[in-house]
Amino acid sequence: MTAAAIDARGLGKDFGSVCALDRLDLEVREGEFFGFLGPNGAGKTTTVHLLATLLAPSRGSARVAGHDIRVDGLAVRRNIGLVFQETTLDRDLTVEENLRFAARLWNLPEHQAAARIEAALRRFGLFERRRDSVRSLSGGMRRAADIARGILHEPRILFLDEPTAGLDPRARRSLWELIRSLRASSGLTVFLTTHYVEEAEPCDRVAVMDRGRLAALDTPAELKRVAGVASLEEVFLARTGHELAQTGAS
Amino acid sequence: MRAVYGIVVREFVRFLRQRGRALSSVARPFVWLIFAGAGFAAVFAGRSEIDYRLYMAPGLLGMVVMFGSLLAALSTVIDRDAGVLRMMLVAPIRRGTVALGKTLGATLVGTAQALVVAAILLPVVGLAPTPGGALLALAAIVLTGLALGALGVLLAAGMRSIENFAGVMNFVVFPMLFLSGALYPVRHLGPVLHVLAHLNPLAYGVDLLKHALLARWADSGYGGELPIPLDCAALALFALAGLAAAGPLLAREGGVARAAFREQR
Repeated sequence: MTAAAIDARGLGKDFGSVCALDRLDLEVREGEFFGFLGPNGAGKTTTVHLLATLLAPSRGSARVAGHDIRVDGLAVRRNIGLVFQETTLDRDLTVEENLRFAARLWNLPEHQAAARIEAALRRFGLFERRRDSVRSLSGGMRRAADIARGILHEPRILFLDEPTAGLDPRARRSLWELIRSLRASSGLTVFLTTHYVEEAEPCDRVAVMDRGRLAALDTPAELKRVAGVASLEEVFLARTGHELAQTGAS
Repeated sequence: MRAVYGIVVREFVRFLRQRGRALSSVARPFVWLIFAGAGFAAVFAGRSEIDYRLYMAPGLLGMVVMFGSLLAALSTVIDRDAGVLRMMLVAPIRRGTVALGKTLGATLVGTAQALVVAAILLPVVGLAPTPGGALLALAAIVLTGLALGALGVLLAAGMRSIENFAGVMNFVVFPMLFLSGALYPVRHLGPVLHVLAHLNPLAYGVDLLKHALLARWADSGYGGELPIPLDCAALALFALAGLAAAGPLLAREGGVARAAFREQR
């Protein structure tokens, strides 16, 4: 049993009178590919923002990479990479300028940053486009640049919040290929949120979220076996009494 | 610190890349000089010891710094809309570091604009500052940039969207300009406005610029009116107070993540 990369205890968040996340108990192991599945509004993004110290919890606590999110935000942020649903790149700057900007924000020495930026650009197929403005990139390339930005500082845990939103099937496939190769080469812990069940299939374990609560947590195979069904979609239906698409539309 | 440097560089590169913005910011004071200058000069014709366009020059420089620094700092709102602010907030740096970087970047943008304008404006109106005056003017420009940059970051941190921008222009930028002494001496205004002028960072910046550039006309009442150390201290205080307040506000829940939460619902 390896150490926990993420350890949440009773973690919760209210926005005014709306409870976005109730009381989440969750342990993600070092090196795990962890899926966080649920419809829109299930509390996925809120959870990621809490764990990434962008939001302060209303109750409970969590340790990320061994650091308490309430007291040591800087140490948490040093150890994580976060790729948001929408791009965070500066569209007016070139791909390379964006990565250099990120490297400075993460306090990488210039010579080290230069080497890592070049390596990331080559790995993500962006080297030829490095002098082009982000505005001119396709959605898939922009997402690849976002992920390159997210791993430049070699985080221990990478949060991917709905990374395939707005990508065409080919871009999605190459994104998964990229994540696979990253995990294989670095032992990176990946925390993936998605509302597409098929994207959660390759995960080591999947947490099924519904309306701010954890509805189920296990390996995809075990979830399906226990529920006696053939797909994660049906697991969701069995666990929550409604379909993914239903709540997603609300 | 490297992160501050990174934010400043990004700010300046963005400014240089937006040619239209750079050009209009340099052209703006000359539009004022030609139109407002002609109008006020006609009103004051024959009644003062100083040519109005000369009198206006320090105020115009102050105006350039104000627009340059304030607008650059207000771009923080755009950063939030575009998501770039999140990249800064998820980096392992303090919120105050983000505010400081944005403020210094805005100061650099405002200062660069003011220096370009000064190089054209001062010869045009026939002002030749002494070396000491030029140094003091530079200090005034930088301090004004810091104060207004910090104020701009603070305003941006409190703004929900760029739609509040018109409100900021009408209720912050223009009153600040008209109560700064840039266009006419504030001492002639009524007591209420006079008090308001003392709460206006630009008034101290313009006063300092008048000390620097209009020292020759001080005896006729057109130079700086407040003591130089007071001007400097007031500007520094505005900068520090703005920075201190802006840091926590930048990351407050209404800013980054709540918006994401709304989209998600």
